[in-house]
Amino acid sequence: MTAASPPVGTVGLRSEVRRWLPLAGLVVGALALQLLFSGDDAFPARWDSTFESPIDDAGDWLRSNRSTHPVFTAFFSPLSRGIDAIITGISDFLLWVPWFVVIAAAAAIPARVRMYRAAITVAVALAYTGVIGLWTETMQTLGLMSAAVLLAVVIGLPLGILAALKPGFETILRPFLDIMQTVPAFVYFLPLFMLFGIGNVPGAVATLIYALPPVVRLTTLGIRTVPPQAVEASQMYGARRRQTLTKVQLPMAIPSIITGLSQTIMLALGVVVLATLVGASGLGSPVLQSLNQRRTGRGIAAGLAIMAVAMVLDRIWRSAAERDPLKRHPRNVTLVGLGILAVGALLGRVVGAGSFPEVFDWTLFDPVDDVVTWIRDNLRWLTRPLSDSIVTWLYLPARDLLTDTLAWPVVVFVGAWACWRMKGWGLALFTASSLVLVGLFGLWELSIDTLVQVLLASAMALALALPIGIWAGRRPRIEAALGPILDGLQTVPSLVYIIPAVIFFTVGVVPGIMATVLYAMVPGVRITALGIREVATESLEASRTFGATPRQTLLGVRIPLAAPTIMAGVNQVIMMSLAMVIISGLVGGGGLGFETVVVLKRSRFGLGFEVAVALVALAMILDRFTEAAADRLQPHRDTGL
Amino acid sequence: MESAADKTCLEARGIWKVFGSKSDQAVELSRDGASRKEVLEATGCTVGVKDVSMAVTRGETFVVMGLSGSGKSTLVRCLARLTDPTAGSVFLDGEDLTAMDEAALRQVRRQKLSMVFQHFGLFPHRTVIDNAAYGLEIQKMAKAERHERASAVLAEVGLEGYEHHYPGQLSGGMQQRVGLARALTVDPEILFFDEPFSALDPLIRRDMQDQLLDLQHTLQRTIVFITHDFAEAIKLGDRIAIMKDGVFDQVGTASQLITSPATDYVREFTEDVPKIKVLTAGDVMQTQTTSGTRSVPASATVESLLPLLLEGDDPIGVSDADGRTVGVVDRNAVTQILASAR
Ligand SMILES: Nc1ncnc2c1ncn2[C@@H]1O[C@H](COP(=O)(O)OP(=O)(O)OP(=O)(O)O)[C@@H](O)[C@H]1O
Ligand SMILES: [Mg+2]
Repeated sequence: MTAASPPVGTVGLRSEVRRWLPLAGLVVGALALQLLFSGDDAFPARWDSTFESPIDDAGDWLRSNRSTHPVFTAFFSPLSRGIDAIITGISDFLLWVPWFVVIAAAAAIPARVRMYRAAITVAVALAYTGVIGLWTETMQTLGLMSAAVLLAVVIGLPLGILAALKPGFETILRPFLDIMQTVPAFVYFLPLFMLFGIGNVPGAVATLIYALPPVVRLTTLGIRTVPPQAVEASQMYGARRRQTLTKVQLPMAIPSIITGLSQTIMLALGVVVLATLVGASGLGSPVLQSLNQRRTGRGIAAGLAIMAVAMVLDRIWRSAAERDPLKRHPRNVTLVGLGILAVGALLGRVVGAGSFPEVFDWTLFDPVDDVVTWIRDNLRWLTRPLSDSIVTWLYLPARDLLTDTLAWPVVVFVGAWACWRMKGWGLALFTASSLVLVGLFGLWELSIDTLVQVLLASAMALALALPIGIWAGRRPRIEAALGPILDGLQTVPSLVYIIPAVIFFTVGVVPGIMATVLYAMVPGVRITALGIREVATESLEASRTFGATPRQTLLGVRIPLAAPTIMAGVNQVIMMSLAMVIISGLVGGGGLGFETVVVLKRSRFGLGFEVAVALVALAMILDRFTEAAADRLQPHRDTGL
Repeated sequence: MESAADKTCLEARGIWKVFGSKSDQAVELSRDGASRKEVLEATGCTVGVKDVSMAVTRGETFVVMGLSGSGKSTLVRCLARLTDPTAGSVFLDGEDLTAMDEAALRQVRRQKLSMVFQHFGLFPHRTVIDNAAYGLEIQKMAKAERHERASAVLAEVGLEGYEHHYPGQLSGGMQQRVGLARALTVDPEILFFDEPFSALDPLIRRDMQDQLLDLQHTLQRTIVFITHDFAEAIKLGDRIAIMKDGVFDQVGTASQLITSPATDYVREFTEDVPKIKVLTAGDVMQTQTTSGTRSVPASATVESLLPLLLEGDDPIGVSDADGRTVGVVDRNAVTQILASAR
């Protein structure tokens, strides 16, 4: 304030008024709306199905024309057949090659760059899937995933290159990539299922969509971060744009592209397992089967097989990413190795070896069921009350508040208000209109139900993750010990988390919430620990020189400085919760997730479209809101010293 | 006799480079005498190079010396057309580089230009020999032939036996030798060096400078060499341009800069230079055509005259390249140099 400003009293008053005005607006608006609309308890039902029936009609049209209309005969059907051919081609080949050759070949990739520990891990992990009788499923999953990743590379690489070379193109592309990554992969199944029918293809395409953004992004990044001098050197020798690209920029971007691919592969694995729900074959089906039969042991067996695949892929990619030419074996060693593998494959076929011999099968793990049953029965005193209190004290009151007590316009208004405060008019408008749209779809109560579950699970996950993360972040040794466990847990596909949750909490909302808490906790812990650890030691020492106690340092320096990172973790926790809450529709979680399962089981296209739109809207709102919150915590440079 | 224009290999006329969107306005302001800072405040544009003209003779080593931010890299990038100058033109063998389209420029680069970079700009994913042969590969020369040429050049710069190593396995000095080899393999007419030795240790830097001098002795290329080290400039440059805030303060031979600095800025650099090592008999002689009993070439450094002057009192004759006597040096002249050195 300059000297010319009015007397202090008025300034104080005016700024006070300005500060409280938005809040007053919220209260008054909410009250007014509540009074006006309190008659209707939920979104007026008379507006329902304005959308559903035309879309259902369109769906019927799709179904009856799938084999005749040119859009299908000339485009979707050939596309579908092509993708299917790639998938079955790869998995049939993997099944045709004798199992020991597959294992040897997989182990040879890390061995080629002298990563022998990784080679052994790969061999053991693959052998496990065979021993447990899931060899065929494993190869099918590998086939589906390789096809999806292959397509992601074929499509993503040129897009990434184009985006790197043409900034204008990147500006157009980026929002699409953002949306592709925000929306839970499960949601993609709905429209894809309508277009491609049941089988491997919708699963592969959903995986592809989900896996595309990291490929594109890291290709762009890799090309952008090639030192400009290298590019200029190439130009100075009169290289054409294409020569510079293929001889300098792309080769130098390879490490970054490989990082993108390894992210892609891990994401893809989770989606491929889920793809069982749209009829894909592979490791998802034993998981689903054991889930349906409540056979924990078998579930664990299949879950471990998925983790084994994750491990195999991770090691193989890491060794592919090893660019140090010195570590590589000379070329003739490689050729001899390849020769041995080829001869082994042929000889193996001659003696009739192919799929893994039946050693055991997954009934090996059945005894686990007894243990689990015993534990479950003896933990009833804990799980029952826990489950009951979550439902009666948290879930039901929250849901009833939002769907019964408060009139729907109040919810829309408050939601939009919060978005306005956090981000601005754009998000507020988006939130309000998409909530109304969801209401018009007749999905009001289901969406609120899902939202409540997501928020509840996120809150619980954060309540656990934040303290653990803060604790671990201050103790490097603990974090180091925890790291591999968390890494491992992050590769476990979401579907697997449901199994223990169902065992201990039977069916309904609670197992879904519990699985979600478990699943979403992991990134929460990791990112919090990271944020806490990365606070500059200088700041900490400065605080200590002023005689601050460890507690004061933690609360006054560490946590505030780590807040933006932690908030990014909150964003991840919430987004993962959303993905998981939808999946828990499989075990009766209710909400939009259950609706999704219904759609997939009964082919209700209209509903499927609406549910997909509602989920996309929810995902976008939650993501943008928490992202804005994280931005707000970012210290402002201009106010800094 | 050859005219000056024939001997000029590279010429720049009124080069401007302004960074920012209002570059025209910035050029105008700057022309009217506004300083770099004033232009930046008024338009948000940085004046990198301000109306620089220069002509480099064939076979000459032209050094541009200036402190960090003075615009040296920007200038050399304009000369090589790695960026387009805001105004002005660059002529190479009489052809206007700045007016060329992509294809013509590419052709000229393949045939005539090369550049050595401060941070080497090597390709880490290629072996030493593939780095060195890059320019030829771009010209689509067959592998065997380009490797043969590249290994010859690698041997010349002392990298025999390292052909199949990767740049990451080499020391900084060796990496820059690869950079040098890569530039020489294409047999260029003009070599641009942008602070090639700045990232190296002093001892290795000296080795590289010596090696460059040796090479230049046999190759006789036209070189534009950027440095921020005045000693390096003196050692390598036939002529030196002192650059400050985007303009040339002075252009001349080392002796000219030392004996008659145009500005205080130039003087500051020359002050610490050991003059007797730089100035030659030609620089300090009195013009006179009668010869004495003893004679030295005009290019002999003053330092090398000291023992001769101690031997006897009489002036020493100075002869030009054709052996004609052009002047004399006596104790008095040398004492004056020594006295002004402090
Ligand atoms: N691409 C660019 N965009 C904006 N300003 C630039 C750009 N490149 C250089 N400049 C500015 O132009 C001026 C001259 O930069 P230049 O790199 O030519 O200096 P230099 O003499 O090579 O310095 P150094 O010794 O540090 O390499 C500097 O003020 C710099 O900030
Ligand atoms: Mg520079």
